[in-house]
Amino acid sequence: MAPEAAPLLVAESLAKGFGSGDARVEVFRGVSLTVAGGDLLAITGPSGSGKSTLLHLFAGLETPDAGRVVLDGVDWAVLAPAPRAAVRGASVGFVFQFHHLLPELTAEENVALPLFLAGRKEEDGRREAREVLDRVGLLGRATAFPRTLSGGERQRVAIARAVVRRPRLLLCDEPTGSLDATHAARVFELLAEVAKERAGAAIVVTHDPEWARRCATIKLLGEEGLSDVI
Amino acid sequence: MISFFLAKRYLLASRRDAQVGVVALAAFLGLALGVAALVVSLALLAGFQTHVRSRLLAETPHLLVTPAGRDAFHDVDRIGTKLAAVPGVVSVSPIVRGRVWVSMGRDAAPAEIVGREKTKGLVLDVLQARPLGIVPGETVTLVSSRSRLSPLGPVPIVSTLKVTGLAPSATGRRAAEASLPLDEARRLFALGPDGATGYEVFLKDPSRAEAGAAAVIAALGPSVTLTTWEEQNRALVLALRLERFVLFAAVFLIVIVAGLNLAATSAVLAATRARDAAVLSVLGASPKTVEKVFRTAGGCVGMAGTLAGVILGAAVAVLLEKFGLVPLPAQLYGMSHAPFHVDPLDVCAVATLSILWAFVVASVPARTAARQPAVEALRGA
Ligand SMILES: Nc1ncnc2c1ncn2[C@@H]1O[C@H](COP(=O)(O)OP(=O)(O)OP(=O)(O)O)[C@@H](O)[C@H]1O
Ligand SMILES: [Mg+2]
Repeated sequence: MAPEAAPLLVAESLAKGFGSGDARVEVFRGVSLTVAGGDLLAITGPSGSGKSTLLHLFAGLETPDAGRVVLDGVDWAVLAPAPRAAVRGASVGFVFQFHHLLPELTAEENVALPLFLAGRKEEDGRREAREVLDRVGLLGRATAFPRTLSGGERQRVAIARAVVRRPRLLLCDEPTGSLDATHAARVFELLAEVAKERAGAAIVVTHDPEWARRCATIKLLGEEGLSDVI
Repeated sequence: MISFFLAKRYLLASRRDAQVGVVALAAFLGLALGVAALVVSLALLAGFQTHVRSRLLAETPHLLVTPAGRDAFHDVDRIGTKLAAVPGVVSVSPIVRGRVWVSMGRDAAPAEIVGREKTKGLVLDVLQARPLGIVPGETVTLVSSRSRLSPLGPVPIVSTLKVTGLAPSATGRRAAEASLPLDEARRLFALGPDGATGYEVFLKDPSRAEAGAAAVIAALGPSVTLTTWEEQNRALVLALRLERFVLFAAVFLIVIVAGLNLAATSAVLAATRARDAAVLSVLGASPKTVEKVFRTAGGCVGMAGTLAGVILGAAVAVLLEKFGLVPLPAQLYGMSHAPFHVDPLDVCAVATLSILWAFVVASVPARTAARQPAVEALRGA
């Protein structure tokens, strides 16, 4: 990391738990990390260790119990809902563990949705969406509805949707879970490319050893609710 | 226009989605029927009012010109000529109005009487004739309130005339009056061959009676008093206006109640699409935008319902009018079937208010939906 480059994402001693009283579950405590432009990061850990929760905190979708998350110099906590949504739309691409495509929209429209929300003209949005669909190998399925797509295809559409606005921070929750090795490799290439394009970063929850070998890895230990950053 | 784009997709998809479909259909039908009822009622009211108005305009002079501060015009022809020259005036006729005693045998009763050029013979209102037991063909004596000088001193002017007919009683908006030829009236009230107590003026456009009055004042100066047909029938005109407002408000209640269904539509939609709302907010949609999506969906149902209602209501009204499907006792109303007149202005007002209301109603659950935290909805497949 070059010293003059401001870090893209800074997390300081994050703690998060759910519920209250006896039902209280501490998911993790004291997670700190700094992500600079160009970084590729993998998060691994057993189920329930808080991987998804951590990504939600990074994306400003949830508020930490302690600590803070600063994206590009701005603390999520200081943003009101509307600007928070605007920042998220412009700077964060999110791939959900469960693709979460809108069932009423075609693949192309799902991918173009972030552009539409940003006020792009319908024609332009659709054209850009098709370009990205092409990059995930789904141009031929542009007009298909999600229910007619396979699990892996849905996942790739979701990835296309996450990268279509060229966000600086890509947060992906097991994006290759339902993909074969070839497609997984292509998805990783795409994520790495998009991350590089605007000097951005990608943080990926994955159990893929290939990806884990290529990048710095955070391992959440779970159970004790403590975490360990490698 | 992302909100419209998504709302459209949701509504189209609701054909397959039983929950949303049923609620949306109920809201649509309710609103359509409510709006149709409002359009038909207003058309009926407008029909009646047009009828009443045209009868008023036929019976009542559009402008009544009377002398200010004296009893009668004497320099008649000049006034008449000046009136006829005022732009927009179609016809001018002098009248002589006054009070007389009508006597037959030993009975006598006071009566309002008016002389007009076109009247032939003496015509009494049935209300005037009945107490005296007068029937057409009988001869009555009219004793004027004016007198003439005789060698014996002042004696009342008297005229003996044959009753040529009885007129149906006046509609209640004015007193019963008898009519007789203008010359006879002039004699009774001691006016010269050109005298008149007033002029009845008919205008090309009676709805612009105020402007006509102003033009007459400009031409004749302050020596005359003007009464427009609306002022002559003030009570009736006000009642008509109030009736319209009250009916609109009363029937609009139906629309208001029907519109409440849209809250249910919008709420069910928002509840079944909570995950989509969350996804939208992750993709950069502000709570406002999310709210707009659901409000637009409810509002579109409202617009469609309103449109269908307007078309249905207008069609029903036009058919009822064309084929005279609502019969009325003709002798009571002076028409054989209920008149329907669809006023475009009424329709616009109904449509605008109904659509506005739809958006207001739909926005309440939409706002609640937009305030839900996103992550809750995103956990799980
Ligand atoms: N809203 C919530 N309410 C209560 N508990 C929650 C909530 N969100 C997460 N948790 C709990 O927090 C823990 C971490 O959840 P999280 O989804 O982050 O795990 P994960 O590491 O992504 O697991 P997986 O690999 O199965 O996806 C779990 O025990 C989960 O039950
Ligand atoms: Mg997870």
